[in-house]
Amino acid sequence: MIVTRIELVDYRNYVTAAFDLTPGITAVVGRNGQGKTNFAEALGYLSTLDSFRGAPAEALIRAGADAAVIRATVRHDDGRELSIEAELSRSGRNRVLVNRQKLPRTRDLLGVVRVSVFSPDDLALVKEGPSERRRFLDDTLVALALKYDAMRLELDRVVKQRNTLLKQAAGRLDEASETTLDVWDAKYAELGDRFGQARAVLIARLGPIVQEAYEHLAGVVTPVELRYEPVWRTLGLAAALAAARHDDVRRGVSTVGPHRDDVELVINGMPARTHASQGEQRTLALSLRLGAHRFVTEHTGSAPVLILDDVLSELDDGRATALLHHLPPGQVVLTSASALPPAARPDAVVRIEAGASAAEGSGTGPWQGPVGDTVTGDG
Amino acid sequence: MAAYTTPVQVLIDELGRLPGIGPKSAQRIAFHLLKVPADDVARLAHALTEAKAKVRFCARCWNIADDELCPICADERRDPTTVCVVEEARDIVAIERTGEFRGRYHVLLGAMSPLEGIGPEQLKVKELFARIEPEGITEVILCTNPNTEGEVTAMYLARMLQPFGVRITRIASGLPVGGDLEYADELTLGRALEGRRDLSA
Ligand SMILES: [Zn+2]
Repeated sequence: MIVTRIELVDYRNYVTAAFDLTPGITAVVGRNGQGKTNFAEALGYLSTLDSFRGAPAEALIRAGADAAVIRATVRHDDGRELSIEAELSRSGRNRVLVNRQKLPRTRDLLGVVRVSVFSPDDLALVKEGPSERRRFLDDTLVALALKYDAMRLELDRVVKQRNTLLKQAAGRLDEASETTLDVWDAKYAELGDRFGQARAVLIARLGPIVQEAYEHLAGVVTPVELRYEPVWRTLGLAAALAAARHDDVRRGVSTVGPHRDDVELVINGMPARTHASQGEQRTLALSLRLGAHRFVTEHTGSAPVLILDDVLSELDDGRATALLHHLPPGQVVLTSASALPPAARPDAVVRIEAGASAAEGSGTGPWQGPVGDTVTGDG
Repeated sequence: MAAYTTPVQVLIDELGRLPGIGPKSAQRIAFHLLKVPADDVARLAHALTEAKAKVRFCARCWNIADDELCPICADERRDPTTVCVVEEARDIVAIERTGEFRGRYHVLLGAMSPLEGIGPEQLKVKELFARIEPEGITEVILCTNPNTEGEVTAMYLARMLQPFGVRITRIASGLPVGGDLEYADELTLGRALEGRRDLSA
C-alpha cells in the first residue's frame, strides 16, 4: 500500500496544501516551524485517528477554522485506488469518507492507511514511564490485527468502570457490591488474560528483531533484551485480582492488571532507562520502532508507509547511514530541517514554507541531485 | 451568557438535554421549529404530552404499555415459561421483528455501568427474580447488548439466577461486537436467538 497524494485543509498551520508522494523515498524539507511535522502528523492521523505527538483533536484544527480536512489517495498492491477524507470538527463530530462513502464509525478507517512513524519523541519509549511502552506494544498489536483495537478499548472501559465502582465503595464493600465487583473482575480477567498473552507473544517475537536492529544501527554486538514479566500473569488475572481485592477496595483503585504493565528494556544486562547513555537510549528507541515496523511488514505481508520525522538529524552520520541502509523496502517519507546525509537518496523532494508546499524534481522521474546542496541555505 | 432571547434559549436548553442531541443540533432543531407553521408545532407538543400521559410501563415486564399490561404480556398465546431479558423496550421491537421468539420479555431499563451510577439496584433486577416462581418460568434468555456493560449485566444475572434452577442462556455471538441490539439486522438477531448458549451450571 502506498499513499500517492495528501491534501490538507485548515490542518494546523495549513490553509490548503497538497503533497504528491513517490512510491519510493519522498524528502520533505524546510526550516523548522514551517509545518513538516504537521504534515507527517496528518498522514499518521489517517492510520491511528490520533496525533503521534499526543495532541488533542482541537489542536489539529487551524486557529479560526471550524474543521480540518485530511484527504489522501491510497494505492493498494493490487492497483486498487481509494480516496480517503477525514474531517475533524471542533464539535467533536468527526467523519470519514472512503471513496465518497461515509463510514458508519470513524474507527472503521483503521487498517486502511497503514503508517509507521519514527520521531525524536520516541526517546520517551526508553526514558519515560510504563504508559509509553504499553502504548508502543498495543499500537503494534493493532497494526498486526485490528481486533486488538476493540480489545484495547474494551479493556480501558472495564478498568474505568471497575475503578469507579471501587471509588463508590469508599473503602468498604457490602455483600451486593461484592457480587457486582465479582462480575466486573470476571470480565476484566477474561479480557486481560487474552491481552496479556498477546503482549507476551509479541514481546517474544519482537525481542530478536529489536536486538538485530540495534546491532545494525550501532555497528557493534550488544545484548538487548525486552522483558515482559508482570506478576499477575503467573497467577492468572482472576486470581491476582482476588488477591489484590482488599488492597483495591481500601485504595479505591485497581492496583493489578494489564493496565499497569511495563516492558523492561535491558542493554548489557542493565536497565536501559537508568544505565544506558543518551546515545544508547536513542539507538534503542529507534531499534524498537524499526523492529516493530519490520515485524508488522513481515507479518502482514505489506509494508506500512514509513515516516521518519526529523529523525536523521538526531543521529550521528554513521547511525543515520546505517538506518537508511537497513530500511525494509516500502514507501518512505522523511522530513528534515538540515542537510540530508549522503546515504539518503530521495526520489522526490517537497519543500515546505509557512504551510505551503512546492515540489522539486517530482514528475520528471527520480530526483537524482545532491539533496544536501539543495537544502543548504535553509539553515 | 444567553445568546438568544429567553424563550428561544429555554427551548434550546430543553432540546439539548435529550439523549444524542448536542448544543449545535439543539440550536438547529429550535430554529427549525420556529420556522414551521404553528399547527405543526402544536401537533408535536400534543404528541409529547399525550405520550407522556397515556403511555406507562407494563406492570409485569416494564415494556411500554398503554394499559396495565403491554400487548405481549396480555397475549394469551405467548409462552409464559420463557423470558427474554432486554435492556430497553426498543430492543423488544427488534426481537419481535425476527419472529423467532414466542415467550415473554423483561425490560431492565438499562445496563450495569458504575460510570453512569447504574448498579443492579437501579435496574429492574429484583422485579425479574420476583417473576420466576409465580409465572413458572423455566428458561431465561439474556438478550442484553453485546457490549461491555451488556455482557457484565448478563454475567451478573446468570450468577444471581443460579439458585432458581432455571435454564439460563445468552444469545450467541454473530451480533456485531460493541453494537446495540437495536441496530442488529433481523437475520443476524434471529440466528443469534436460535444459537443461544447455555450459562446454567
Ligand atoms: Zn409486559
